[in-house]
Amino acid sequence: MRQFLPFLWLSLLSLCVFSQAASDPDYHEQLVLRPLPLSALLASFNFRSNTTVSEFEKGNFRFFPRSLGQILQHAGTRELHLRFSLGRWDAESWGARPWHGAREGGTGVELWAWLEADTDDEADRKWLTLTNALSGLFCASLNFIDGTRTTRPVMSFQPEGDHSSDANLQLLYGVLPHEVVCTENLTPFLKLLPCKGKAGIATLLDGHKLFDASWQTMAIDIRPICPTNEDCVLQIEQTVDMVLDIDRSKRPRDNPIPRPPPPHELPCDTSKPYHAHDTCFPVDHTANQDWSLSQIFGKAMKGTCPLTDPDVPPVCLQVPNTRSVFVSEGVREKKSPDQLSRCFEIPPSNDFEIVLPPPDDPGQSPSAVVVTPETPLLYAERSFTGHGQERGGVRTILRNPSPDSVVEFIYMETLPWFMRIYLHTMEARIAGHSQPDKSLVQQVYYRPALDRARGTQLEVRMRVPPASTVFLTYDFEKSILRYTEYPPDANRGFDVAAAVITVLDARALGNHSSSIDGGRAKAAYYLRTTSLLCSLPTPDFSMPYNVIIFTSTAIALAFGGMFNILVRRFVAADEGPEVGLGVVIGGLQGRLQRLVKGVRGKR
Amino acid sequence: MLIQQPPDDSTTDSPSLEAVTGRVTANNGVPARKQPPPEKPSDIRRRSYIILSFWLIVLCLGLPIWWKTTTIYRAHLPLQEMLDWADGKACRPVFPLHISIQANALQEQEAQNLLRLTQHALDDLNDFSGHHLRLQLAPPAATENRDRDTVLTIRLVPGEATTATLDPHEPILDITYPPNAIPSPTSSSSSLATYVAGQLRSTFAEEQATISYLLSANSISPEHRPQGLSPDVAETLSKRTTRSLKYAPTYHLTFSLFTSGPLPSSWDIEGAIGDYMKPVLDLLLPIHNFTIDTQVQLYATPGVQNQVLNKEDLSSFINAAEWPLSPSIGGAPTVNFIVFVGNQTIAAPSQNSAEGPDPAPHSWLIPQWGTVYLLSLPPDTPHLSSEALKQPLLTFTSHLLSLTGTPRSGSLPLRLSTLSRIRSADLLLRASSTLGSLARLALALPSISIPSSVADGVSKTIRHLRMACETLGGPEGLAHARIAEAEAERAFFEKSMVGQLYFPDEHKIAVYLPLLGPVAVPLVMGLVNELKAWRKRRLEAAALGAGKKKE
Repeated sequence: MRQFLPFLWLSLLSLCVFSQAASDPDYHEQLVLRPLPLSALLASFNFRSNTTVSEFEKGNFRFFPRSLGQILQHAGTRELHLRFSLGRWDAESWGARPWHGAREGGTGVELWAWLEADTDDEADRKWLTLTNALSGLFCASLNFIDGTRTTRPVMSFQPEGDHSSDANLQLLYGVLPHEVVCTENLTPFLKLLPCKGKAGIATLLDGHKLFDASWQTMAIDIRPICPTNEDCVLQIEQTVDMVLDIDRSKRPRDNPIPRPPPPHELPCDTSKPYHAHDTCFPVDHTANQDWSLSQIFGKAMKGTCPLTDPDVPPVCLQVPNTRSVFVSEGVREKKSPDQLSRCFEIPPSNDFEIVLPPPDDPGQSPSAVVVTPETPLLYAERSFTGHGQERGGVRTILRNPSPDSVVEFIYMETLPWFMRIYLHTMEARIAGHSQPDKSLVQQVYYRPALDRARGTQLEVRMRVPPASTVFLTYDFEKSILRYTEYPPDANRGFDVAAAVITVLDARALGNHSSSIDGGRAKAAYYLRTTSLLCSLPTPDFSMPYNVIIFTSTAIALAFGGMFNILVRRFVAADEGPEVGLGVVIGGLQGRLQRLVKGVRGKR
Repeated sequence: MLIQQPPDDSTTDSPSLEAVTGRVTANNGVPARKQPPPEKPSDIRRRSYIILSFWLIVLCLGLPIWWKTTTIYRAHLPLQEMLDWADGKACRPVFPLHISIQANALQEQEAQNLLRLTQHALDDLNDFSGHHLRLQLAPPAATENRDRDTVLTIRLVPGEATTATLDPHEPILDITYPPNAIPSPTSSSSSLATYVAGQLRSTFAEEQATISYLLSANSISPEHRPQGLSPDVAETLSKRTTRSLKYAPTYHLTFSLFTSGPLPSSWDIEGAIGDYMKPVLDLLLPIHNFTIDTQVQLYATPGVQNQVLNKEDLSSFINAAEWPLSPSIGGAPTVNFIVFVGNQTIAAPSQNSAEGPDPAPHSWLIPQWGTVYLLSLPPDTPHLSSEALKQPLLTFTSHLLSLTGTPRSGSLPLRLSTLSRIRSADLLLRASSTLGSLARLALALPSISIPSSVADGVSKTIRHLRMACETLGGPEGLAHARIAEAEAERAFFEKSMVGQLYFPDEHKIAVYLPLLGPVAVPLVMGLVNELKAWRKRRLEAAALGAGKKKE
């Protein structure tokens, strides 16, 4: 079973890339629901539409969204990938990522595209057009992807589509880790779908639930696909993946305060020797594995989109076949031969509902309740080290869970220019060894930062031996920004984008021995670390006014002293006019007396 | 630099005097103090020089530098000239229209005579000097190749009766005349000449009215303003002007099919455009370029859900929040043509709205935006064929002409050449009024910064306006007016002008007060003390002089 699941994902992935050989159905949508351990549920929405390149160039849009098509034409973009992500994928308990990580991004917004341009300047210009236009379309701050946030990856990304070899394509990559993804990004996303959010699986997408998820990512991928002997098509694929916390989703919206379940509803592990009527060892894997579609999404699904390919079942559920599932009337269930998933064919106009009852026996083994997650090829974790306001360091822990195979991957960092890394401090060390191992890092591509113009780009090709953990560390220095360069909430810290790890396909590697000979090796798995929050020394922001006043006072003091020395006359202490309190009082007395005298004289 | 007083007792006698009487108490009981020795006159003079030089440096160097470095840059603008343009004093728009008469059947002499009489009749009829029809005789040989400046050719052919027909494809007016209508060389009036003049006038009546409306609406100075524009004509014209789009060399046409349900999801729009719209677009090509795109949008909810749409509902029918009708990003203005497939209908227009511009009850025009056409179809139509789109596209075509501001009467070539003249006048006036607004803005906000790019734009605008004014009516005029308008807009909407809109001088003083205050106090005190001492010295000197005289 464990061996089969990766194959299933792979076949799904390859399906979406290569199934276009028979490009007749121009629209396709599918929702895959997969319960995960610890009361989580992965919902993967996939929408795909095609248009022939000739129709696209003529400006006739049917399923392909016109707003996006215009932008692509205007910016000379041949392939585009846009990601909006939020939250963290818990690989330890949820296993491998959906779509092998190919449809997700790091926290915030990520954008990479292949632009047709002859020179770097032209590419930059088109990139600027593209980011500005997309920023307006998706209500995101994509226009803030400027030169400091743009890189040109050398090893990490590879085009998914078929491009003619004579086209001058340039890959540009920009990332906004600080961007908060929210409902205003979902609305334009839904508008791009042919059925909007009005029919089919898209009716389940709702901002309240989507952005309440533990992890979610929205992806838009546009690529040209040229099947042999057929016209090229331009394909747009929109993907939404989210991991819902069933516990939280089932809370009623009007009363969202969590409450402990009554004792008799607790699922207990009865095999424990101490299990009794007043002691209970909770069973994690069966907890909250009962749900219904309308409970977790807030509403039932409204029919199917009539444009969709009738051969593809719109909803699939990946639970072991031994579990019973209830669906609404008129729905046909198709179980797959691998015993692990089933799909549903839905009549076009009926509402659709799935009810997954709790497992019959709470003490069952975990694999009978949920499909055991696939082990990812690599685990990665990244954190800051270092001390003080100046010295910092980054440590990435990379763990290869496989007992027998080496994992080879490309680790890419895009760092802001104010993190000045010391490349000589970069070292990779296997856990348990005290000395760094030079053989782990195979190749380094490093493009140093330019202050205020360009960020650091670091791509490291490395390998992790079987069943071992590797620490990749390097140090950096935090620079001090100019007064106006600090954002309004400078004390929160500066977001550092997620590192992108491209795990290379071991089989493909065998073919053309490990070096990068011009072409890029095929990727088998993508993963991204969490983003980091780097705190820089922040000044007191009333500083300029203090400086103005301080220097003014100093200048005034110096000037006053000098001027007085130049123009005053110096005499002996007993020669000058008398000073002190006595003089003032005496002067006042004299005046008073004169006044009194004057008054008397008048009388 | 200490100015020290050398203790030279021999030169001064007053301190010693004081010292003698030192223990004597004054009348208020304070003991008298020892006085410092008097200063040397050279020291006094030197102190005066020091104070004077400090003040000179501060006033002549410090303050100007400070003022200059903190002041807001304002490029020089030819404000008076700009205002002149806006008021219409700088250019008097004149459209000389050359009309050639082709009378192959007439003698040279007769033709000349007819021409003279017709010109006379025309001049009598014309009351608006800006729009002048000038007749000329076409050389008989040049039957085919028309002069480029000639807007209309009159072909005089002998016939049975006096008739006039406009050629639908060429700018030619065919006039037949009975043989006896040729005026004798001596007669001072002729019915044929009057007839031709009347025909010409009615042909160009609309253009004349439109141009005079444009001129009057843009506050051209009253002496050039044409008279006699009746209020209802003015109203129609104003309606048409507000409806038409701003001039642009390229328009982007977006054809959208919105359906209330899932069907129909495809249409043969490309074929339909090719059949029904392309011929007109090709004719408009000398004036405008067109780019086209089409889209299909299902499950569209209109902004109004009523079954029968009233006139008030039409304005809110477009669901701008949900329908992806974003304008094109290339910079060309977008004209939207929407076919909405649903079961909604438009209420029949009430009786009194006789001026209803839409004869078709299925569609309505949204000023400066586009057209909506409601198409009701039997349910379950999966595909819209080219024939089904014929009526919508013909409607769109006629609406496109009115959206581009093409006049209604006359044959198509005439309408188009009229359009180019109207557009030149319109652009000219627009650019002038933008210049005026910029000048008024610069005058009204003395603290706004004016970067040099604005000044550049203004000078370029004025240069092109001048050239446009000289060549009005021709294609160069349109090109110059176009450039002038674009430059004027760019100058007016210069971004950096808005950024520093408000940085008042009080702010400047406030920031620098911690420096200016402490520096000013010793300077002022030094000056005041010096003036006091100077006065005292003068008084003393005067008293001394008086004492000497007494002695």
